[in-house]
Amino acid sequence: MPDEQDFKPAQMTITSGGQRSWQRISLVWLVPLAALIISLAIAWQNFQAQGQLITISFKNTSGITANETVIKFRDVTVGKVEKVNFANSLSEVIVTARIDKDVAPYLDEDAKFWVVRPDVSVRGITGLDTVLSGVYIEGSWDANITLPTTEFFGLQTPPLVRAGQEGITIHLRADDGGALTEGAPILHKGIQVGYLEKPELSFDGNSVIVAAFVEAPYDKRITSNTRFWDTSGFSINLDASGLSLNVESLASLIEGGIAFDTVISGGTKLREGTVFDIFFDEQTARSSLFSTPNQELLNLSILFDESVSGLTAGADVRFQGIRIGSVKDLSAFVVSEEADQDVQLRTNIEIEPGRLGLGETATPEMALSFLEVLIEQGLRARMATGNILSGSLQIELITVENAPPETLLVTDYSFPIIPTTTSNISDVSATADGILQRVSDLPIEELMSGAIEMMDSFERLANEGALREAPQSLNALLNDARRLINSEDVQTIPVDVNNVIDSALQVLENMDSAVNDVQVVAATTQDVIKSDISDNLSVLTQDIRSVVADVGKIVADTNDADLVGQITKALASATQTVDNIEAATKQLPAITNQVEALIAKANALEIQALVESANDTIISMNALIGSDDTAALPAAAISALNEMEVVLAEIRAGGAIENVNVALSSASQAAKAIEDAVIDLPALSSRASRLVSQTQAVIESYGDRSRFSAEMSGTLRDIQAAADAVTSLARTIQRNPSSLIRGR
Amino acid sequence: MQVFDLGNSRPIATISARQAGLIGCRRCGQVHLADKGFCSRCKGELQSRDTKSLQKVWAWLIAGLIAYLPANTYPIMVTATLIDWNESTIIGGVIDLWHYGSFGVASIVFIASVIIPVGKFIAISYLALSVQRRSIVNPHQRHRLFEVVEFIGRWSMIDIFVVAILSALIQFDTLANINPGVAAVSFALSIVFTMLAAQSFDPRLIWDADRTDDAG
Repeated sequence: MPDEQDFKPAQMTITSGGQRSWQRISLVWLVPLAALIISLAIAWQNFQAQGQLITISFKNTSGITANETVIKFRDVTVGKVEKVNFANSLSEVIVTARIDKDVAPYLDEDAKFWVVRPDVSVRGITGLDTVLSGVYIEGSWDANITLPTTEFFGLQTPPLVRAGQEGITIHLRADDGGALTEGAPILHKGIQVGYLEKPELSFDGNSVIVAAFVEAPYDKRITSNTRFWDTSGFSINLDASGLSLNVESLASLIEGGIAFDTVISGGTKLREGTVFDIFFDEQTARSSLFSTPNQELLNLSILFDESVSGLTAGADVRFQGIRIGSVKDLSAFVVSEEADQDVQLRTNIEIEPGRLGLGETATPEMALSFLEVLIEQGLRARMATGNILSGSLQIELITVENAPPETLLVTDYSFPIIPTTTSNISDVSATADGILQRVSDLPIEELMSGAIEMMDSFERLANEGALREAPQSLNALLNDARRLINSEDVQTIPVDVNNVIDSALQVLENMDSAVNDVQVVAATTQDVIKSDISDNLSVLTQDIRSVVADVGKIVADTNDADLVGQITKALASATQTVDNIEAATKQLPAITNQVEALIAKANALEIQALVESANDTIISMNALIGSDDTAALPAAAISALNEMEVVLAEIRAGGAIENVNVALSSASQAAKAIEDAVIDLPALSSRASRLVSQTQAVIESYGDRSRFSAEMSGTLRDIQAAADAVTSLARTIQRNPSSLIRGR
Repeated sequence: MQVFDLGNSRPIATISARQAGLIGCRRCGQVHLADKGFCSRCKGELQSRDTKSLQKVWAWLIAGLIAYLPANTYPIMVTATLIDWNESTIIGGVIDLWHYGSFGVASIVFIASVIIPVGKFIAISYLALSVQRRSIVNPHQRHRLFEVVEFIGRWSMIDIFVVAILSALIQFDTLANINPGVAAVSFALSIVFTMLAAQSFDPRLIWDADRTDDAG
């Protein structure tokens, strides 16, 4: 058992905590303190940075979501929608938004808010980014703080004029607002310088007033002398100055638009909200520039006796060529002077006194008295052609020389009346009349009769026999040509060739026989040479002996009857004979010599040359056969046929049907002739082959010898080939003569 | 004075180390006699009782509460896509998740981000108050409660992890972006502060209440 003393606790060393209160506090307390301070600081900062709450009332808040939709000013987010709720009457939606603190002070009563949505118009596409990001509210206000407010009315559409945009707002007045749409451009020399705002009816309901904003610096171009005109769509204008087509920009074509220009300087500066008239077109606007719009006009009347067709309200009134006014209206009224009633056409015109050269301050009275003086000097009114095409008329005031005195007639029932003079109307119809008159004056009858005569002559000419015979003559001509083709001379060309060949053959044959003869002669000569002449002489002597015996018998016989004399005579004769024989025998050497000479001659006979000549002949013949002409012979025949065919075609084309038969018969004749010619061809070929065999024989007689024979055999082969060709041609033609006719 | 039977493993009566004149080093666990000011092993300061414990607990707890307010009112996550821009608070996120049918995830987020922090605040406050009032009720349960609070406190950071991961992953410039909001920092601070509060609590104080000799 352990001692109980051992369990006494050890002496505790007690370190007391800090005596002072701050020493008793842990440093950790700093942490929540810091956290609290930071939190409070952040809260305070948030509260400080919190923007101002504003309310915007919208008719339509499509796309606006609380806590998401932002408010932008110049595309910078300056606030956020916090709440969307209804107004008390449920007629509007109240959007509560918080605007950043630094922007909020500028929100005053002229601040505008609108919802930006995607918008596609002629002028372009805007707000495309809102397709993805959703709509936002755009605000516009300027830097001037006038009357701060927190309640605003949202616009349905973006305002055309942003706050702070430099420029001028003017008002335009038009009779018809059809061409004016909100946002339509205002153009100056084709450049858009402003917008139209929403057109509204004027208070009296007679016209349309539209506010227009012209941006700086173009607003300086607008003075009291500026004129505005409508450029909507396009205008085609046919008036005293001709046809004119006006088209402004594409946007204005679709959307309408207003253009302006200031032609004369010196206009006065504008005040905000000045009202301008919109003229119908540029021309009207420009011409109106020369008048002061608010000037009083002098009204006058003109009574025309003639038709005023073509004169319209608005037509020019010109004085010495210068426009001084316009026609106001036209009316007819009855002038009753007791029984005599008459309808007068009264034309009322307006004259601008300023245009008469009386200065800008001229009054209608001054103009009237001025005109009065002029009329006494001969000033008259008349109608004149304004435009020759449209036939529109205008009124001219001209001074007529030596005019009967007239005065300005001032009556109670009308404006002062200006006397008239003959009108100077040169219209289209008059001119056309003149042209028609000239046309009718033309000698058409003579022209027609001349033409008829000429046609008659043609007919006569056509009916003449000579002309009719022309086809027959032509036919005859063709026949002649055919005959020529068929003529013997032409047809016999192959025959002639054959003849030539025949002649050559004969020559060869002759030569052959000559050679044979020569051979015979040679042989004979040899025989002659070989046989002993002495034998002959012995025979001769024996003959002579027999003769002598005969003579002796004869002598004996003669002795019987006067023989001696006869014998003597016979002896004499015998002697003579012997003498002759002797003489003959004496002549034998000469004969031998001659024979020898003959043999020599025969030896010397130029066989070589002869053969060569024969060779030449054969070559020539070969050339003849091989020559293009000969070769072209069938081709020539074919071409002749072709020509014939062409002739036939021509004849056929010529339409002389009756000639076709003739031509056909001619063709058959020609075919027959060709056949004849073709019949000759086998003979030709056989002859050629015969010639070849003969020539071969000749050559064989010379044996195989050197180059000559080779050449010769080559030549012969050529000839053989030529002969074969001719043979095959002949066969072909025989087999199918019609192909030759058809040229195939 | 109570008698111990050292041969018996079960104490027949309780006596605190303080009553036994011993001080355990809170850092390394070495037991010293109470006359030592510093630990002989680790040189740590020896304190029988942390006299400023409750002060620290309250200070950290208040700091945590202050941080917890913006953590719930400000957005914890800012989601920006091409066409949308969305800020979500913790409770808003839970409601959204619940609305979209992700009951499980909503429950997890709700428990981790709301139930646990709030429970911690309540638990720590209860512990601190019970010590201050020298409550003698259920010291064992209170000690268990303290251990649970200390263990579970770190799991509240799950929300911060989700935001941090999403912010790191989803950064596609204009297409989609997720950024942590102000509440993320506040919430993280709040969790850290409450964890420090739990750590500052000296659980030995729980057992001192029924002792009269405690100088406190």
